[in-house]
Amino acid sequence: MRSIISIATTTVGEAIRRKVLLIILLVGILFLVVAPGLGVLSARSETTVLRGMMLGIIQLTSAVIAIVLTVYMIPNEIERRTIYTILSKPVQRWQFLLGKYLGAVLALGLMMLLMTAVLVFTFWLQQDRQVSGIADLIAAPLMYFVQMSLLAAVAIFFSTFVAPLVNFFLTGGMYLLGSLFNPFFQTLQESQGTPPVAKLFAQFVNTILPNFANYNIQNPIINPGQQIQNPQAYYMQATIYGVFYIGTLLVLGILIFDRREV
Amino acid sequence: MAAAIETKKLTKSYKSRIHGRVNVVENLDLHVEEGEIFGFLGPNGAGKTTTIKMLLSIIYPTSGEGYVLGKEIGDMDVHKIISYVPERPYYYEYMTGLELLRFYGSLFGITDQAKFESLLTKVNLHRDMSKTISQYSKGMQQRIGLAQSLLNDPKLLFLDEPTGGLDPIAHREIRDLILSFRDEGRTVFISSHELSEVELICDRVAIINRGRIEQQGKLTELLRGGRVEITVRGVQPELLHGMKLRDTNVRNLPVGYLLDMPEEEDINAVVDGVRAHRGEIVSIVPRKKRLEDLFVETVTSQPAGSAPLEGPIGV
Repeated sequence: MRSIISIATTTVGEAIRRKVLLIILLVGILFLVVAPGLGVLSARSETTVLRGMMLGIIQLTSAVIAIVLTVYMIPNEIERRTIYTILSKPVQRWQFLLGKYLGAVLALGLMMLLMTAVLVFTFWLQQDRQVSGIADLIAAPLMYFVQMSLLAAVAIFFSTFVAPLVNFFLTGGMYLLGSLFNPFFQTLQESQGTPPVAKLFAQFVNTILPNFANYNIQNPIINPGQQIQNPQAYYMQATIYGVFYIGTLLVLGILIFDRREV
Repeated sequence: MAAAIETKKLTKSYKSRIHGRVNVVENLDLHVEEGEIFGFLGPNGAGKTTTIKMLLSIIYPTSGEGYVLGKEIGDMDVHKIISYVPERPYYYEYMTGLELLRFYGSLFGITDQAKFESLLTKVNLHRDMSKTISQYSKGMQQRIGLAQSLLNDPKLLFLDEPTGGLDPIAHREIRDLILSFRDEGRTVFISSHELSEVELICDRVAIINRGRIEQQGKLTELLRGGRVEITVRGVQPELLHGMKLRDTNVRNLPVGYLLDMPEEEDINAVVDGVRAHRGEIVSIVPRKKRLEDLFVETVTSQPAGSAPLEGPIGV
């Protein structure tokens, strides 16, 4: 446990010093700051547009950070030979991988926390320093954090056996497919008129592909008229699903990494 | 004496698209005794780093056995008492020297600040412990590498090219440190191209070439068979041929001729023979067999200093 924490801490230290990540974060924060100015240009309610825009910025920025942070993580350690010094010590490979993942999630969490703080502050100012509705607003970044932790796990899993560039497209592709197409495959699976083969295929894809759409809860936040029936239960279910999927990916990643030549 | 490292037919092969299966290390029988400094030599691509990685279970052997401090390779308990400094190591640049030791120390559960500082003093980095690794010179980075390798008080250290790319002063500092490790009873396994360094500090060596060990043993035994170079002038080559010297090479020089012969040859007889024919002895230079000669002989499979301009005498 001690080794995992040490490796995680070092990973956070490295991540928050990586210029490319800081630039992405800065760009995201800049967009968050200017978002209120763009809201006045829309015909829709300024608040609606602002909420949608800012949550979207946080989600997109976090996704880019998660992918860029994790696709190069393991390959960099191998290329720079830092992994050799660590593995020559009494550190098991699974401890190394888990430490790197936890460090990545922690670093990601810190960056998302910063963006959320900017979101909350901007909203508080925009609402003439009123706090109503801000608690609901925070639910989305929390769900995004679980979503990005899952995305990071996908990238770490792929990084155990593919090159970084391939991983970048694989992970990005999985995120897009899991965000956009999972609802489609779910509908296909549940629909009465779907042929059995198509149903089976839809079930297979739905099971294998991580359902990133689970965490896109901005609709009820942006549009108060659209509510989730039992939000606490939904969030809990989505979180458990995420934790289970992350665990599965990490276990598979460990099994592959354990036999990998480094 | 107990073996610090023992391998039996250790082999590592990889799949190659062109050649099928390629043995990078083949049937390695390595023996390193405890308490010695062991030099592991070989040309680039010979299999040195692959061997070290197998011993540290960073990669896995294809076949064969390997034991480190009596335990099978891969045993995590052994990793508590060995250490490794890789070739051209990279450390987390944002960390200071002290933070780096803290990090590696934490992997052993070591948190003793006094220990970190004493190690930094040992490698002469005490004054620079608050500087980041990015501010360290190459020599300083090598020294911090040695400091982290001593955190767990190891019985066995693996050093891959410990003096690579360093200036002569840094060379000496590293060399003195390595010698101090032996004085402390540790075993040191060095992989190096710096043959002069290896010759100065190693007790035993092995030379690996194309994945196979070609030579292994004590330096004093492997380097037996020095030669003597006698430069003569004022004699005819026919005289030199007539002396019937064994394993002697003759080279044509502007001043005369150079006779390159085994040190066991009767040098006095050669000198007397030359002087009897009114020849002159310009110089007599004993040439001890150097590790470089052995290395070149081994990897090229021909004697060093051969290919004379005139044919060898008495062969």
